[in-house]
Amino acid sequence: MVDAIIVASSVQEVKESLSAVSSLGDVEVLFYGKNTDNAAEVAKLGVKVYVLKSQHPGALFNAVKKLYDEKKPKVIVGYGTKNNRDALSRLAGTYDLPMATDVIGVEFKDDHIIYKRGFLSERAIATEKIPYPAIILVNAKVFEPVQREGSGNIEEITIEEDSVKLLEIKPKQLSGINLEDAEIIVGVGRGFKKKEDLELAFKLAELLGGQVGASRPIAADYKWLPEDAWIGISGKRVAPKLYIAVGISGAPQHMAGVNNSKIIVAINKDKSAPIFKLADYGVVADLYQFLPVLIKKLEEKKGK
Amino acid sequence: MGDIVVLVKPSLNPDMTRSKPDGTVDLDAIPLKLDDIDANALEAAKELKNTLGGKIIALLLLPWGPVQKRTRELKMVTQEALARGADEAYIVSDEKLLPGDPIITATVLSNAIKKYAPNASLVLVAEASIDQTTGQIAGRVAAKLGLPFISYARKITINGDKIVAERDVEDHIEVMEASLPAVVSVTQEINEPRPPTLLQIRRAGKKPQKTLSAADVEPIPERKKEPVEYKILTVSRKQIIIEGDTLEEIAEKLIEALEKEGVL
Ligand SMILES: Cc1cc2nc3c(=O)[nH]c(=O)nc-3n(C[C@H](O)[C@H](O)[C@H](O)COP(=O)(O)OP(=O)(O)OC[C@H]3O[C@@H](n4cnc5c(N)ncnc54)[C@H](O)[C@@H]3O)c2cc1C
Repeated sequence: MVDAIIVASSVQEVKESLSAVSSLGDVEVLFYGKNTDNAAEVAKLGVKVYVLKSQHPGALFNAVKKLYDEKKPKVIVGYGTKNNRDALSRLAGTYDLPMATDVIGVEFKDDHIIYKRGFLSERAIATEKIPYPAIILVNAKVFEPVQREGSGNIEEITIEEDSVKLLEIKPKQLSGINLEDAEIIVGVGRGFKKKEDLELAFKLAELLGGQVGASRPIAADYKWLPEDAWIGISGKRVAPKLYIAVGISGAPQHMAGVNNSKIIVAINKDKSAPIFKLADYGVVADLYQFLPVLIKKLEEKKGK
Repeated sequence: MGDIVVLVKPSLNPDMTRSKPDGTVDLDAIPLKLDDIDANALEAAKELKNTLGGKIIALLLLPWGPVQKRTRELKMVTQEALARGADEAYIVSDEKLLPGDPIITATVLSNAIKKYAPNASLVLVAEASIDQTTGQIAGRVAAKLGLPFISYARKITINGDKIVAERDVEDHIEVMEASLPAVVSVTQEINEPRPPTLLQIRRAGKKPQKTLSAADVEPIPERKKEPVEYKILTVSRKQIIIEGDTLEEIAEKLIEALEKEGVL
């Protein structure tokens, strides 16, 4: 009898998911995608590993469904990555399973599950209750990764893709910067008028020994920065000691990604911008006038 | 060839979050609005309409009650959907379906598509909503209708009886091709929705719309999600506006404050 199946495409996801279901019994893992060479590392956690060397969302759905049909687990758990959401929402629709996403806390009771998740674009926290069997997708870095030694079997599975064809994979330009580990982040938003102007933010970040992150439109829509700079509910969640938001309005979907910062500074020319209520220190000014002055002052200090 | 169904969600507006004295969310006091990325889905439908040759059907379901109190807001969301390009609207509104449960929502929407939009060749859904943000309705509906599914589309083109979409995955883009009819979830990046013009708003009032009850969209599955508590997340930030006669002075004060905080 398998209690939980973890669906994951990286070792870290497996370790954190294992931690989320640590109160349950037997756990098996469906390990898929580009990192399947690391399957041995997963098996060392003492779990049975099914390896699917595909990242086709339809193949993943078919694989998850096959395992679900065979094993009848009480819980399917994983990160809320786009591939997981795609495949598992289809599984949920197929069997009318409850599915909780963006989970930040979960308790597996005898006959039901209680979880916590963001609500109203994370202006609130919802606590909700669902019966078994269920799908639980957890946020990254909420559960302490499990460290343990064991040996599980690895079994490769081959699964048909569905009727949707994957014609081409286009790589994205990524910076490779790990914003999650940055101590200081300068966040840039649509207050910047063109890509070249971001130089001001880079200058500031460099002086502070920090990194540059962005609101979703800057990274995903305008592509002025690589997409791994995208901070927020659908991007990265960061927790620097200092977050300086420049030309960012303070939409809840953005702030969800920075609310764990120790200190938040907002620089915005609109004194009624929502971000000022969500920041520790605010400067009401045009970024094009204020950033050069701030940079100059910091340079002076450094020079001393 | 076929109609385009756009799922439109009247969502609680997070910018108008209201709290009860005990710190829980005052759900009934938060107004509904047409969900953000639904505007992108409607815009995408407008762009594809000529190629597909059919009409745009907006399908709404009221997820928050009480029905009586929400009537006017629901009407406004419907009007907006019609002004943003839908040719007609079906609105499911019934106390029995409240509060929204993704299992019930997806089933009701799928039943409504089968019954009221039998010629649909494309169902467009936003990647996620602003109130619940679970992003699971599109996949559920695809599974229920047994249709090909492409999620997180940033770009779509119709090619004969096929749809080609650029699917956004975290670190790459996948170009996917599916036969129509299909269900596609769209991202915010797919387009820049144009606000409706006055003329479009005026015309919206004359477009056909039909309100449906639970009885029209049966069978309805059992509810599985029970709310326990919705609590306001209080962010206690200092909210200090740094003022000064010159930008130099402000910059100095800011640096000083950050040094005191020990974050520089
Ligand atoms: C489901 C969903 C998920 C989302 N996920 C995310 C996410 O993960 N991350 C994210 O960031 N967004 C996300 N969004 C989008 C979000 O709702 C906002 O649209 C976005 O964050 C706005 O970005 P912005 O603050 O850069 O731009 P705007 O809201 O346009 O703000 C620009 C600000 O710049 C100020 N400004 C303009 N000129 C100047 C100047 N010269 N000097 C100083 N200030 C100036 C303006 O006053 C304004 O406040 C999501 C939305 C949805 C619906």
